[in-house]
Amino acid sequence: MVRKLSLKTLALFLLLTVFMSFGGIAAFAQTDQHIYDGAGLLSETEIQDLEAYASEKSRENGADFLLLTTDSTNGLPIETYMGNFFDEWADENGQENAVLLTIDMGGRNFYLAGFGTAETRLDNQRVEMVLDRITSYMVQGQYAGAFRETIETSDRYMEYRPGVNPESIFLKTWFHAAAGLVLAAIIVGSMLYNSGGRNTTTPATYIDRDNTRVVRDSDRFRNKTVTRRRIPKNNNSGGGFGGSGGMTGGGRSFSGGGRSF
Amino acid sequence: MVTHYKCPNCGSDMAFDATTGHLSCPNCGRQDDIETFPAENIQQEFAPEEAKEYHCENCGAVLLTEPETTATHCSFCGAAVVLSDRLTGEFAPAKVIPFTISKDEAVAAFRKWTKNGRLTPRGFMNGDRIKKMTGMYVPFWLYDIDGKAEVAAIGTRVRTYQQGDTVITETDFYDVYREIDLSYLKVPADASEKMDDELMDKLEPYDYSDLKDFRMPYLAGFLAEKYDYDEDALFSRVESKIVPYIDSFIGSTISGYSTVSYTDKHINAHKKKVYYTLFPVWMVYYDFENKEHTFAMNGQTGKVVGKPPISGGKVAAWFTGIAVSTFAVLKAISYMVGGVLW
Repeated sequence: MVRKLSLKTLALFLLLTVFMSFGGIAAFAQTDQHIYDGAGLLSETEIQDLEAYASEKSRENGADFLLLTTDSTNGLPIETYMGNFFDEWADENGQENAVLLTIDMGGRNFYLAGFGTAETRLDNQRVEMVLDRITSYMVQGQYAGAFRETIETSDRYMEYRPGVNPESIFLKTWFHAAAGLVLAAIIVGSMLYNSGGRNTTTPATYIDRDNTRVVRDSDRFRNKTVTRRRIPKNNNSGGGFGGSGGMTGGGRSFSGGGRSF
Repeated sequence: MVTHYKCPNCGSDMAFDATTGHLSCPNCGRQDDIETFPAENIQQEFAPEEAKEYHCENCGAVLLTEPETTATHCSFCGAAVVLSDRLTGEFAPAKVIPFTISKDEAVAAFRKWTKNGRLTPRGFMNGDRIKKMTGMYVPFWLYDIDGKAEVAAIGTRVRTYQQGDTVITETDFYDVYREIDLSYLKVPADASEKMDDELMDKLEPYDYSDLKDFRMPYLAGFLAEKYDYDEDALFSRVESKIVPYIDSFIGSTISGYSTVSYTDKHINAHKKKVYYTLFPVWMVYYDFENKEHTFAMNGQTGKVVGKPPISGGKVAAWFTGIAVSTFAVLKAISYMVGGVLW
C-alpha cells in the first residue's frame, strides 16, 4: 500500500517536473513583442498576424524571432545599430536566444543575425541562404512577406544539426524516394533481363592470345591547348556585406549577414 | 543407311553414356570405348530405294524422321539408331563435344535452376513438371578467324590545376595509330534453323578441351541434326559476334588517354578454318499453367537458358522491398547527419 502510493507520488512528481520544465522553456523563449516597426513599414493587421506567427514559432523553436525597422541608424553601421538594440532588448527581456531581422530604410540595407543558441543553429552560411530567399521580397517592398519568410525558413533550418547544409539534396525526401525507386528499377530490371540466362562469353573467350597483337603503333604528340578560367569571387549579388557576424557593444556575439536592396 | 551399335556380348543396341563417355549396353551393362569399338558390331543397312525412308534394323519399323535428323530412336522399339549417310560427305561433322551430363543429372540440374528463379512463380520452382527432356546434338560451325585492324584516333590527355584564382586546363592532343593482327579461335554459330539463335548464343561458352574428333557412336541414344546453313551463310553472323570483341581489344591497346576518338577504323576479318561441330544440348519441355516453356541446357556445363514464367507479384514485391528499404536507409542516414527526419 505504502509502496503503491509512493510510486504514484513519484510518477506525479515526475510528470509535474516535465510540465514545469517545458513551461519554463516556453516562458523563457517568449516575449510579448516581436515586432519593433520604427519605420512604420507594416500595417496594423500585418503586425497582428506576424506577432501571432512569430510568438507561435518562437515558442516552438526556443529562440525569439524579432523584426526591427528604422528610418535611420543615426550614422551607425547597421550591425552596430542592431547590436545596440539587441543589447537593450536582451537585458530587458532576459532572453539571449534570438533571430533578428533589421531593416534600415535610410541606408536601404537589411541585416539578419542569430544570437545565443541561434548563433550556431543559424550560422553565417544559413543566414546567407535565408537572405537569398528574402531579398526578392525586400526589393519588391513586401516587408511583411520578408519577415514571414525569415521566420519560416530560419525555423526550418535551425532544426538541422549545425554545420549541415539544410538545402542539401541528400537530405530531401523526394531524393530519398527517387533514389529508392531508381535503385529498385535497376536491380529488378536486371533480374528480369537476366532471368532467361545471361551471355557469359567475354571478349577474352575466343581470343587467340598468341596471334593477336599490335604489330605497329605510334602515339605522336600533335598540339596542345591551354584554357584559363578565373574562379568567380564568391560574393553574392545585391550588395552583400558583413557576412561573418560579429560582437555587439554589450559583448554578445552573433552570426549574421546583410544585403542592400 | 541405318547404323546400329550392337553389344558384342548380348547383341542389344548400345547407346552413348554421358557419365562414362563410353558406348554402354542397357541390357548387360557392357561398356565399350568408342575409338576401339569392333567394326563387325556396327550393323549397317543401306536403303538405296528410298532416300528418305529408313527402317529399323531390329523390328523393321519405318523410322519417321525429319530430313535434318541424323540420329534418333526407333519410335517402335526404342533402339538408338544413327542415320549415317546423313553424316557423310559434306555433312560429316569434323568435331563433337560429347554429352557429359546424363539425363538424370540434367533433370537434377534443371530442378536446381528452377529453385534459383527469384522472380518465377512458386509453382514453377518445384521443377516437377518436366514434360520431356531431349538430348540433342545441335550443329554448329566453329570459325577460326584471322584478321587485321588498322585504326587511327586522336587521344587527349587533360591536366587541370589551379594557380592563384585561375583554373588552368592543359589538353595535349596525340595522333594514335595501331595496326593489329587479330586471331580468334573456334567462334561458334548455330547452324540449325530450328534452334533460336539467341538461346544458343547464351549457352556458350563450351569447354573446348573436351572437343573430340567426330565419331558416329557419340550420337547413339541421342537426337542429332544436320546443318541447315552452310559455313558461308553463317559467317556474317559470326562476324557480327566478334566485332564487339575486336573493338574492345582495340580499346585495350590504346590506354593512358582521357578521351579517345577514332578517326579511322578498318577491320578486315576472314575465316581461316571452319569446323563442322556438334554441341550437346538438353532441350527441356516444361508444362506450367497450361503453357509449354522450352529451355535449353548446355549438355557439357549444365548452364540453363530460356525465358521462365515471371510472377508479377514477386516482381512487385522485390521492387517495393528494394525501394522501401533504400528509402528507409537513406532517411536514417540523413537523420543521423542532418538531425531532421522530414
